[in-house]
Amino acid sequence: MAKKGWDEFEIGAMLRTFDGKIDDIAGTRQEDRAYSQNSSYTASVADWRLIKPVFNKDYCIDCQFCWIYCPDVSIVSRDKKLIGVDMDHCKGCGICVEVCPTNPKSLLMFPEQADEETEIANWPKKDEGEA
Amino acid sequence: MAFQKMELKDIEVWDGNRAAAQALRQAQVDVVAAYPITPSTPIVEGYAQFTADGYVEGEFVMVESEHAAMSACIGAAAAGGRVATATSSQGLALMSETLYQASGMRLPIVLNLVNRALASPLNVNGDHSDMYMIRDSGWIQFDAYCPQEVYDLNLMAFKVSEDHDIRLPVIVNQDGFMTSHTAQGVRPLSDDEAYAFVGEYNPMNDMLDFEHPVTHGVQTEEDWHFEHKARQHNDLMTKAMPKILEVFADFEKQTGRKYNPVEKYDMDDADVCVVCMGSSVETAREVASEMRANGIKAGVVGLRVVRPIPFFEIADALKDVKAIAALDRSSPNGAAGMLFNEIAGALFNTNTKALLSGYVYGLGGRDLTKAHLVALYNELQANADAGKVTTQLQQFIGVRGPKLAFL
Amino acid sequence: MSEVKNIKNLKEFSTSADRFEGANLLCPGCAHSIIVREVLNATNDDLILSASTGCLEVCTAVYPYTSWDASWIHIGFENSSTAVAGAETMYKALKKKGRLKQPERTPKFISFAGDGASYDIGFQWISGCMERGHNMMHIVLDNEVYANTGGQRSSSTPIGSSATTTPAGKISYGEKRNKKDMMSIMAAHGIPYAAQVSPNKWKDMVKKIQHGMAVDGPVFINAVSPCTTEWKFDPKDTMNIADLATDTLVFPLYEIIDGRELNITYRPKNVIPVEEYLAAQGRFKHLFKDEYKYLIKEWQERVDEKWAYLQRREEARV
Repeated sequence: MAKKGWDEFEIGAMLRTFDGKIDDIAGTRQEDRAYSQNSSYTASVADWRLIKPVFNKDYCIDCQFCWIYCPDVSIVSRDKKLIGVDMDHCKGCGICVEVCPTNPKSLLMFPEQADEETEIANWPKKDEGEA
Repeated sequence: MAFQKMELKDIEVWDGNRAAAQALRQAQVDVVAAYPITPSTPIVEGYAQFTADGYVEGEFVMVESEHAAMSACIGAAAAGGRVATATSSQGLALMSETLYQASGMRLPIVLNLVNRALASPLNVNGDHSDMYMIRDSGWIQFDAYCPQEVYDLNLMAFKVSEDHDIRLPVIVNQDGFMTSHTAQGVRPLSDDEAYAFVGEYNPMNDMLDFEHPVTHGVQTEEDWHFEHKARQHNDLMTKAMPKILEVFADFEKQTGRKYNPVEKYDMDDADVCVVCMGSSVETAREVASEMRANGIKAGVVGLRVVRPIPFFEIADALKDVKAIAALDRSSPNGAAGMLFNEIAGALFNTNTKALLSGYVYGLGGRDLTKAHLVALYNELQANADAGKVTTQLQQFIGVRGPKLAFL
Repeated sequence: MSEVKNIKNLKEFSTSADRFEGANLLCPGCAHSIIVREVLNATNDDLILSASTGCLEVCTAVYPYTSWDASWIHIGFENSSTAVAGAETMYKALKKKGRLKQPERTPKFISFAGDGASYDIGFQWISGCMERGHNMMHIVLDNEVYANTGGQRSSSTPIGSSATTTPAGKISYGEKRNKKDMMSIMAAHGIPYAAQVSPNKWKDMVKKIQHGMAVDGPVFINAVSPCTTEWKFDPKDTMNIADLATDTLVFPLYEIIDGRELNITYRPKNVIPVEEYLAAQGRFKHLFKDEYKYLIKEWQERVDEKWAYLQRREEARV
């Protein structure tokens, strides 16, 4: 965000999350909210990542373990279905992969530069050794 | 829930603490969070009794320390309503961390500071050490010299503090015991008049507005902090004083009682004058009149607004005098006194030829006697006659032992 | 009036619209934000939040960004509890005076603070809030160390842990004191509800948060928050460490109602030896030297003893 001069911001270093008014935050999905430029929702930490999760929906059972345990609100679930990973906010911690219960896993970590389509095409097979 | 109004006489006999508690009651403060400490305790007790007797509709919370008192005041002010508290001395020292946070967040809060010495050694009596300690904390500071002024300045403090262009917390100072526990005649407004003067609280950036969520108390590092502090200083330097003058004028219109950022007594033709604060102003006024009967053109200047400092008003008040004494009721501990420095700063770069000397007096409630002031005025006259300061620039008065003078 | 949010299962929970945002500056794998999400998503009511100075605060409100979608305040290190208590007091005052802008809405008041800000520097403020009966919840994000400032010991740091001010060294095994029993101290205030929670047991967490929000009066929650940076484990393992914390019974999950009635809320099917919990974290690495192995045994004994105590308390119903 552009650096402002001393006379250009709200007094008290106060920040507003939304532009205008919001009636029911808990009932409004993120994509339907009018975030102000001061919400970190509008920022990105993608450059923190060395490794990234790739989601393969073919194996996903929509258990939502990854949704609940994601520290960065980066697992996007809508209507009880996992629809993807928010790559602006994912820091690449890998928790989602750890907690994924499917076999093979529906999420795996790859180097940041890896090509998603290639990795999905080469997805590991079911590990028969696993109980 | 209903609350009762109080019938007041035209003239009530109130001490400074009572006057403050009554003003808080009349302002219909939404939240008072407080912790008792001598000599401000009766403000808190008085307000508690008003609450117990059904004269207060707002909430009154007795917390477990002064730090918590101001912390709760900050939370309450950020939530969006009228907030006030009272403290003294060590209590102010304990809450000092939060004073900077309150002003930095630009939250309106009125704090009655009943001035008292700071330990060690422990002392419960009046001096200005506490007032001086937090003078850079970003609060507006008023100084009352008597119970009437405590009452008046409290009502005015809310009006200044809560103005949306200002949004800065305000301290109303009064001398511990000398003012806080000395009953005098006070002319109050009626409950309705007082509340009408203070006005309805008008929220801003309030946390309880669920349709406009706000984040208060952010972190700013080297890329933003300076700008925010600069903004606060700018508003203190350019916006606070015009608003204070406007509120003083409104108050005069309603009550006939006139307040000025710098109060001048017998200054029209004064050759020599003392500059001081608190109840000493009243003592000095009496002595100045007596000096005049003896042929010394003595005057008194009292600081009414301590922060923001009325820099040009000070210079203007002192421009024609020949010798000035700055009376500091706080040990500067290794420097010239605060008033000495403020006056010197205000007069420097002007055409004045006035001589300035500083006096440290009255620590821990030691009386400033008329005899002290007579000697002081005579010393100033001697300076004026000699055309130079004939003493050292800083002297201690009223202290036992060999004479203490420095600089 | 507020209604308790119906969360039967995780799928249903996942329809929650988060009120905490990403692109905050917390470490990858930080449990703080997992706990915050579980807490905030446990209700649809309006929220008034506060945080003490610490990791959560410095990482979620760094100008010009905020990660909070509900009103939030930070004052200092010691007073997030009192900050929210002040706001709650103002709410009561304005409600009484009929000056609330949205009078039909019933906000929940929640204060977050680390263990340093709760067990140590903010202890008195929290005690005051609990004693005065504010309608609020104080939640400790307990990572057992001053993580924000780089890993100094707090009175929550457990024995044998290497912290930067109680480091393990040639002649020291690190922290010498046992963790302070904050749950007992807070329950002793006679508050309506105190509970220990862990983010891996989300359902237990949600149930307790909802219980805490439903009671009238102050609530204390101690949430274990595995710290990838200071506990020294890989960020991906945060939930694995939380699983070990609950299933070794190092962090037993229980609640205390009205300061007396204790209920154990989670009984692991297979209790794991404490040694596995210690072995998974770098902060305990030195305990596996021959001369300190007796401490691991003592750890197990302490955990067993505490578990037996909790069970006795639960059975006694007093």
